[in-house]
Amino acid sequence: MTVESSLVTPLLLEFPFEWTYLRSIVRVSLYVSLVAVALSTLCSLPIALAVGFTEFRGKTLLTSVINTGMGFPSVVVGLVVLFAVSNQGPLGSFDLVFTAEAMIVSQFVLATPVITGVSLAAVSSVERTVRDAAFAMGGTRVDVALVTIKEARYGIATAVLAGFGRAISEVGSVLIVGGNIVGPDGTSKTRTLTTAIQLEARQGRFETAMMLGAILVVLVLVVNAFVVRLGRGDGGYR
Amino acid sequence: MTLAARDVHHGYGDDPVFDGTSLSVSPGEVVAIIGPSGVGKSTLLRLLALFDRPDGGTVEYDGEDVWNASERRRLAYRRRIGMVFQETSLFDASVRRNAEYGLRVRKSWPDRLRDELRGFLGRTNGTVDAVEALETVGLAEKVDQDAASLSGGEAQRVAFARALAYDPEVLLLDEPTSDLDPRNTAVLEDAVLQAKNSGIGVAIATHDMHQAERVADRVAVLLGTGIIEIGETETVFDDPADDRTRKFIDGELVY
Repeated sequence: MTVESSLVTPLLLEFPFEWTYLRSIVRVSLYVSLVAVALSTLCSLPIALAVGFTEFRGKTLLTSVINTGMGFPSVVVGLVVLFAVSNQGPLGSFDLVFTAEAMIVSQFVLATPVITGVSLAAVSSVERTVRDAAFAMGGTRVDVALVTIKEARYGIATAVLAGFGRAISEVGSVLIVGGNIVGPDGTSKTRTLTTAIQLEARQGRFETAMMLGAILVVLVLVVNAFVVRLGRGDGGYR
Repeated sequence: MTLAARDVHHGYGDDPVFDGTSLSVSPGEVVAIIGPSGVGKSTLLRLLALFDRPDGGTVEYDGEDVWNASERRRLAYRRRIGMVFQETSLFDASVRRNAEYGLRVRKSWPDRLRDELRGFLGRTNGTVDAVEALETVGLAEKVDQDAASLSGGEAQRVAFARALAYDPEVLLLDEPTSDLDPRNTAVLEDAVLQAKNSGIGVAIATHDMHQAERVADRVAVLLGTGIIEIGETETVFDDPADDRTRKFIDGELVY
């Protein structure tokens, strides 16, 4: 590692930190956000389909609650999650305080309303006749749900992107539940790009903060491009 | 094969649509359901297509009360029925994917996953049945086009082929030509008669009397909260038993 960093650092001229340190921050950021968004998507899609398809009392209220959740203050979420994973909390036995997994929990809570809300709008906009056609041709409920997801695929891709954007750019809650920790070996334990930027900026190292910011933006762009391609791609559907 | 609604009562909220009405479809016949807009033609077809359970009465397939059968059996019955809707209802996919949908959902999950994987790798080999069904409506050459690129008439013809591709015993058509030009209407009516001649039982809801006269063996007149008259097409049109039928056919306001 030291060989690599001594090789890379001179190339980048005044690269202001260790290569391994930077890599570990990017790794933690991506790990936490991608896992949280994946879990959140698995949870959100069935909810969006169930709410979108069925008529029940309180549907408008539930939709409002989901939409309100999209703008829920992340610091409050962090505080609640910190309480939940603390020794006295309901998840206390998992010993999650100041771990990447605790950050996954808080990002999951933040991303789920976004992904559910945007997916719900996408699923609801699929024409009823299209669902009816799938059913009439002998489709089961699962088939009808799959057809709906395929019809709403652009909207769902947008939902996942919005959720990922919320997760990876999040500072407040990951700072509270993760603690912005770097291990004794100098690599990130719970430090993400955002919390690192916050720290560097507070310590007056603006160049470093700017560089980390640029990396974060590039990461978001790369993931967006990938998901948009996945959503646009037909996967043999055409 | 006989699909029948027997003495069905059905409504939305306190508003009754049917107050005990019956209709059956036998193999190789075309039954036209005529009646004014909003009288429940679509609702009757949806009951026959096993979309909704009637509030009262039974829907029977070969004499079995479908809603008292197991869910698996009901699915098997559903898969012997094809349906075409008034509105365009094609999936946002190729004509081929649309035409093969009914066949696809009938396959086992491992087979479906294998087919999807082959499709993903670009190794699709279309089924013969889907192309044959498209030939019936004269659109076999459009099999690899995007469904979104079709005209309204072509889209409806694909919707018809899609329902035909899996060899149903019954076809339920809900005003399939109401938005179509005369040429596309003629193609679809031909396809209906072909389906009938191959032994399929067809029920077609229409507000076009001439269409009913052209394609139907029997006509059911839906007025008020049920079928007021049903009989041979000629008899119903030339010598209706119910005065309201005569008025409706003559274009007088009866509702």
